Amino acid sequence: MNDEDVDRAFKRDLLASLPNLRAFAVSLTGRHDKADDLVQDTIMKAWANQKSFTAGTNMRAWLFTILRNEFYSQMRKRGREVQDSDGLYSERFSVHPEQYGRLDLQDFRKALDTLPDDQREAIILVGAAGFAYEEAATICGCAVGTIKSRVSRARARLQELLGVSGEGDFGPDPGDAAITSRAFGS
Amino acid sequence: MSEDETRKKEKMTTAQSNNFRPGAMQPNSSISRKLREFYDAVQEEGIPDRFMDLLERLEEAEKKANSVNGK
Repeated sequence: MNDEDVDRAFKRDLLASLPNLRAFAVSLTGRHDKADDLVQDTIMKAWANQKSFTAGTNMRAWLFTILRNEFYSQMRKRGREVQDSDGLYSERFSVHPEQYGRLDLQDFRKALDTLPDDQREAIILVGAAGFAYEEAATICGCAVGTIKSRVSRARARLQELLGVSGEGDFGPDPGDAAITSRAFGS
Repeated sequence: MSEDETRKKEKMTTAQSNNFRPGAMQPNSSISRKLREFYDAVQEEGIPDRFMDLLERLEEAEKKANSVNGK
């Protein structure tokens, strides 16, 4: 491949990853406007660093890693926002409630937002963005076991908040689901 | 056996033992479904114009820089 082909492939793969990347950004920030700013910063970073991307490797994971690092470094710069206060999600989600469509999806969104950041990102990466535990661990810079336990705790918490059974849920580790449902007596 | 296959096999056996009794699969075993529903709703919005514009501008800037460098 010559340089131009590499550039074209880079742009094509970047575009193909954007909807998924953007959904991850919305999950992290809780807001479309902030999410799009974050995606924009990520595109600029990715573009500036495209030489450091090895063609043929997992671009999606690479982009998610950049976006995640960007998100946390911006959070640190701004001073950490309070995570678990009751007022936070109502403030965040009063902005565009219609974007979350049906009412139960809004409830779900609120429940998701009460999770600690590390648990929310883990369950999103594995349960929605389509990453394997190993990939999610690489993106978050932690051990696979850590991701598994975060996903498991996130799931238990969501089940508790939404009052649903999660039995048979989440393909990757049905063992956890069984433990969780026993623990919560569902 | 690859790691994937091992996992698949484990999953199958565990899933069987979990779900074998009638009614074990709740119709509202909905955490993962809702999670994907929420996530897909954002994905389906597609790519906002601002990102297409941004990529075009980045590409243009790169072309210009390359031609200046005589590349």
